[in-house]
Amino acid sequence: MKEISCPVVKKDHWDKVSGRSRYVGDYDGEGVLTGKLLHAKVAHAKIVEVTLPELPQGYLYVDRNDVPGDNNVNIVKDDTPVYARETVEYIGEPIGMVVGPDPREVERLLSEIQVTYEELEPVLDLRKASEVFFHYEYGKGDVEAAFAQADKVYEEEFETGYQEQAYLETQGMMAVPEADGRMFVHGSMQCIYYVKGAVMRALGCGPDGVHILQDPTGGGFGGKEAFPSILACQVAVAAHKAQAPVRCVFDRREDLEYTSKRHPSLCTYKVAVKDGKVTAMDIDVKFNGGAYTTLSAVVLQRGLICADGVYNIKNLHVIGEALKTNTTPTGAYRGFGAPQTFFAVELMMDHIARDLGVDSLAFKEAHMVRQGDATSTSGMYHFPVPLPAMIDEVDAASDFRRKHREYEKPQTGRYRRGIGMSVYFHGAGFTGAGERDTIKAVCKLHKYPDGTVEILASNGEIGQGVRTTFPKIVARELNLPLEKVYYDQPDTARVPDSGPTVASRSLMIVGELLRRAAIQLRDKWVDGEDQMVEEHYKEPDFMIPFSLEDFHGDAYPTYAWGVHAIEVEVDTCTGRSQVLGAYGSFDVGTPIDYNVVMGQMEGGFLQGIGYSSMEHMNYDDRGRIRNNSFSDYLIPTTRDVPNLKCILHVEEYPDGPYGAKGAGELPLVGGPGAYVEALEQALGGVKLHHAPFTAEDTMNVILKEGL
Amino acid sequence: MVNGYTAHSLAEALEIRAAHSVIPYAGGTDLMVESRPDPTYLFLSRVPELCGICEDANYIRIGAAVTYTQALESPLVPPLMKAAVAQIAAPAIRNAGTFGGNLGNGSAKADSVLIEYVTDAKLRLASVRGERTVSVADFYQGRKQLDLAQDELIVEILLPRPAPGERWHYEKVGGRNALAISRVSFAGVYEEQDGRILRLAAGFGAVAATVLRYPDLEAMLVSRTVEEARSLKADFLAAYEQRMQLTRGRVSAEYRKAVCLRLLGAFLEEIGL
Amino acid sequence: MSGICFMLNGAPVTYEGSGADRLLEVLRDTYRTTSVKCGCKEGECGACSVLLDGVLVNSCCVAMGAVEDRNVVTLEGYRETERFAVLSRAFGEMSAVQCGFCIPGMILASEALLSRNPHPSEEEIREGLSGNLCRCTGYNAIVKAVSLAAEEGNGLW
Repeated sequence: MKEISCPVVKKDHWDKVSGRSRYVGDYDGEGVLTGKLLHAKVAHAKIVEVTLPELPQGYLYVDRNDVPGDNNVNIVKDDTPVYARETVEYIGEPIGMVVGPDPREVERLLSEIQVTYEELEPVLDLRKASEVFFHYEYGKGDVEAAFAQADKVYEEEFETGYQEQAYLETQGMMAVPEADGRMFVHGSMQCIYYVKGAVMRALGCGPDGVHILQDPTGGGFGGKEAFPSILACQVAVAAHKAQAPVRCVFDRREDLEYTSKRHPSLCTYKVAVKDGKVTAMDIDVKFNGGAYTTLSAVVLQRGLICADGVYNIKNLHVIGEALKTNTTPTGAYRGFGAPQTFFAVELMMDHIARDLGVDSLAFKEAHMVRQGDATSTSGMYHFPVPLPAMIDEVDAASDFRRKHREYEKPQTGRYRRGIGMSVYFHGAGFTGAGERDTIKAVCKLHKYPDGTVEILASNGEIGQGVRTTFPKIVARELNLPLEKVYYDQPDTARVPDSGPTVASRSLMIVGELLRRAAIQLRDKWVDGEDQMVEEHYKEPDFMIPFSLEDFHGDAYPTYAWGVHAIEVEVDTCTGRSQVLGAYGSFDVGTPIDYNVVMGQMEGGFLQGIGYSSMEHMNYDDRGRIRNNSFSDYLIPTTRDVPNLKCILHVEEYPDGPYGAKGAGELPLVGGPGAYVEALEQALGGVKLHHAPFTAEDTMNVILKEGL
Repeated sequence: MVNGYTAHSLAEALEIRAAHSVIPYAGGTDLMVESRPDPTYLFLSRVPELCGICEDANYIRIGAAVTYTQALESPLVPPLMKAAVAQIAAPAIRNAGTFGGNLGNGSAKADSVLIEYVTDAKLRLASVRGERTVSVADFYQGRKQLDLAQDELIVEILLPRPAPGERWHYEKVGGRNALAISRVSFAGVYEEQDGRILRLAAGFGAVAATVLRYPDLEAMLVSRTVEEARSLKADFLAAYEQRMQLTRGRVSAEYRKAVCLRLLGAFLEEIGL
Repeated sequence: MSGICFMLNGAPVTYEGSGADRLLEVLRDTYRTTSVKCGCKEGECGACSVLLDGVLVNSCCVAMGAVEDRNVVTLEGYRETERFAVLSRAFGEMSAVQCGFCIPGMILASEALLSRNPHPSEEEIREGLSGNLCRCTGYNAIVKAVSLAAEEGNGLW
């Protein structure tokens, strides 16, 4: 193991383990008003009237009329309102906020508000949705000819459901008007500068009018990428009106029902096969974007780019849409569109292999990309593709090949076993030229006269370890003990914009900037002086420029790779499945801290298994999400996957710090493919087409197949 | 105390229960999840008469305020009850949740109640007016409807002592391996003597308004020889299939029914029928 | 009417509010022991775990009246103990803390487990922590940390 990979006690460990870390809900409430949102109760309606009860002294109602700036939240587009406009577009849409000193009184007032709606027909079914938020289409080769010449053509449809981030700390935000007229907003978030841009716009003020601090954040997983911008605008507007601090912390129920989650998807794969090889794929992807666009454009882009998986498909046509429905807007969640299409393509390949009577893994291996091959978007896999070695590692850990053969044989008895494998990647960092054209990351190092060095960057610690890994990089280049380098919770008033905490980019992109900044500082170092250095992002020169117009070029500079094997045992009496073992090999380049990276891999892997199995969420015929509590939306406990084994495979990336590349999202992506493949085998070789695949779904197969 | 009373004896608890409109509070794990406006609780965990586990010639007697953890640690509590209670939620809930609370909540998902059904347990109820004993099946009159007067408290559960040689079977089907509310649960008790079935009980939890048990269907097999019972097995299962009217909950009624029938079948298989 | 007297982290306190109030909220709002986190308010996550007379409970599922004359320990009290120091070091060594929100509950659940079973197997650890959800770690590091603490703290529990 490289020295930089050796684990250290994390910098935020002592505060967190002793309960001293102050999350937004932990600030003293003295003088702070509680804000509670008035959520729409119908999925689509005109708001005719909002009738308020008599508000006692010190209590306020806030809505769109109180927004001093623009009532549109700055995300990718601007269609999300701070507070509802004339209509509500989904159940839960925030219409207004009741603000006051006593939380119980606020609750009471909220319950007495009468909203009169003129109901409109909601669109709830993705299949019937017609309003297209985003539409993309790309391809390569000659798809038509490949289908014309095919020996066999396969067409299957795959569906995935919601997944809720289920961070343990719900969304929470606090806005404090400061004496100098600035608005100070702090809370649970991933992206301080996203929040800053949004709040500036809502308040109609310049960059000096607001500053944003990330409090210790109890998990994000993408759920605190865009949503906090909306909540921050709402509390900032309320604090502006009240001229007093306002805090809004969501109940779990609000959080589960009304905050963004993973896009449900519907993918149709049409595949041409000739001489036992896939020659073309024609893929149609639909994502349920919910009522507003939020991040759907970028989520869809990534999903589409991954649509042909890790396979070298010469003739490819991909078409994708994010559609509007009158449901909670969906958004970022670890994997960002990729888990949906990887699920589809992995099962598609498996189904074709089985139909051809060949081994599923061998069939996949025969199609896998190699270094130098073209990507789906006619970019290039510039670096080695370590999948064959990783498959062998997982095989060694899980005994995959032997078990796969064994479970293929007819099974009898109450319990039946299966094992599945998925092979996948995650494009490291932003899609396309986002890093170069939009983010333009800047970071700084501040050296104090006493020789301590402070990292100034905007990437938030959300459990992934940047408060530790960033200082490790800087300390190493400066040859300082780790105690001498620190990275505080970032505040836009103090740190430059090194970009958001998303896309598995923080360590790879900002970590490398910090490494270069540290080298700069090392060269300039003068003992006893106060010194500052700055670094700016520079795109690696090997990149084939990416064009979003025609989806052409290198969508990502490099890729993190993953291989999963999941072994299950199905109980034919109950439909329940136990995961007997979950094995993963992950190449995220050099781990900057072995424990930190293993923690990401294990945590992400388990989320992926949850997504595949128990994490079922749906809405009823009125558009109301039914799984709105932790007893109805189940995430894995300590006892659900006790045998979870992760292996790190290191393929160094020359443009990442010490060879590191994007890590955080990868381990979730391959969950559903491997899990559902395993179920298929346990259920006697059926073909399944959706995830999560619950006990009830399994029982339906058991009854249908007479198992 | 504002909005609450703490009783230190059963007599005191019954006095308070009779004199005030109070909600009996044992472990709190269900009550605190419901959101009632300004409830007034009668706290029962300090009532010694509700807190013990003891046995007499016929029964294991479990106080209404005994927690699941206490039951798991008691050598007196029969293994079938332990099997069910051990799978309730997680340690913190088992440390607080009580037998009386599980009953008083009135849910068909109550895991300890299913065991009380299949073992023909009785409940001792008391009020200032006196005492009475009812069977669990009579205590439950419908969904959240209990045979419990405004002034009554559940004092203890009288669990018949397991017969020597009695066999039992318990299965809980939840959405995950811990912290799971039953989606279907099954308990069976079986006793046979000299090749003849003495007793057979099968109960189903979490699938309807109350725990389901059909003594008349069980009677199809009772007092038969094992051979006779085997030949009646198909009819027996078909009778259950026809009889069971299930409701939907977190899972569909069809799923519940399929699981119930399969678990019943698995039980019969296990006892050799 | 008199208040509700109980011991909080070793000191006697008297709560003047309603017996129906939630221990979780009283701990956070009145006594400012904010290590106790609110994750779901229905006993389904364990973030609000505290020790009540040494026994692990979810403070969201406890009414104040049930706390009368009893002993409540939160991490604010427990972190002063030698046992905490051992657990904390073990969690640190395994990097078992990510976002940190579940951790106060995890630590107290670990204490509750080890105090009854000083040398638990992996399965027993998983059972002991099964009411405490963590969305970050996948649990492996936490389970290893408790196992390490049991080893290092030999004799303390």
